[in-house]
Amino acid sequence: MADLARKHVIPAIVPSVRERLQALDDSGVVTAFLGGEERAFAELVTRYQTRLLNFVYRTIGDREKAEDLVQEVFIRVYRHLHRFDRSKKFSTWVYTIASNLAKNELRNRSRNPLVLFQQVQKNWEDEDRPLQFEDPTSRPDDMYRKRHLREIVEETVAKLPEHHRNVFVLRELEGKSYEEIAEITECNLGTVKSRLNRARNSFAEIIAPYVD
Amino acid sequence: MDCRDFREKHVAFVDDTLAGIELVGMQCHIAECECCASQDAKVRRALLLFRNLPSIELSAGFAARLDARLKETRQNDLSALPAQGFRRGAIAAAIASAVMIGYIGTNLYDADRTSHVLMAPVVASTPDHDLTPITTPSPAIVASVSAGFAIWPAALFAEQAPVHFAHSRPEPVNYTR
Repeated sequence: MADLARKHVIPAIVPSVRERLQALDDSGVVTAFLGGEERAFAELVTRYQTRLLNFVYRTIGDREKAEDLVQEVFIRVYRHLHRFDRSKKFSTWVYTIASNLAKNELRNRSRNPLVLFQQVQKNWEDEDRPLQFEDPTSRPDDMYRKRHLREIVEETVAKLPEHHRNVFVLRELEGKSYEEIAEITECNLGTVKSRLNRARNSFAEIIAPYVD
Repeated sequence: MDCRDFREKHVAFVDDTLAGIELVGMQCHIAECECCASQDAKVRRALLLFRNLPSIELSAGFAARLDARLKETRQNDLSALPAQGFRRGAIAAAIASAVMIGYIGTNLYDADRTSHVLMAPVVASTPDHDLTPITTPSPAIVASVSAGFAIWPAALFAEQAPVHFAHSRPEPVNYTR
């Protein structure tokens, strides 16, 4: 009888390690990694790679370099995660690392204009390629207009002063709270609000002629 | 609310984080002031454009490159461990040696100094006038009297004691048998 019952037992669906990690919040995943679960790091990478790439790219304006910096962020996270203060938010810590790396990159560029020129030239070549990722169902003039507008927006963001741009991207793109931005940029709350206000007004002022 | 107040609170207004009364004040100001209303619309429209920028996607080789770099990092960390241990041991040994040399040096220096210690000479002078002989009974007996007797003789004896020592001749004494 017992054998018969055993035969009819429906096997319980045991979630895989990956599924269990996916169900955890950042803090849980960090704890799992520090507890020796190497796959937890892959989960952190999956969660943050695209967000960080967009943040760094909007800050420095160079896609290839942005990818390198995002990799550097993850290498630093991997090496120093045991030092991370777990009473704080993991995302804030990661963005702080990314923000500092982006700042360093911009500082290095300003010291070495030749590098900047070469990077800009490379980007121009990229821009000259035919459209590959636009919606093919759109009309060509719409596609051109969209692309043109996107370029203008990106150029406008790049025109903002570095410390304004950083705050602007963190707020408008990443949706960070003022407090988090203050922590990431190591500024006080008043400075964050003031920079955000100036960045928004400058951005609106520069882009207005293209939008109207 | 004036235009200056409006500009100061505009960040919170756009982010919808103002308290109820302030929010109403801002809305009233927009209804009254064409300039601020225009600025508000301009900022909101610009932000809408920025927020709708298409997301940048990672390149195909990103994950593979990251994996390779992580592996390299792991290997470097592992190979650095014995070197780190050796470095720590070397530092500890260097510190211990320095402490030992310092200790030995200090001891040698002190030994040199103790062999040449100069002591101040002992000086006793003889008074000019002759002292009156002590005629009182033994001061020890006087001092032992509990009450009713004067203790001046003992005090005088004690005062004159150095003088008597100054008069006396030192004689070698052998305590060993």
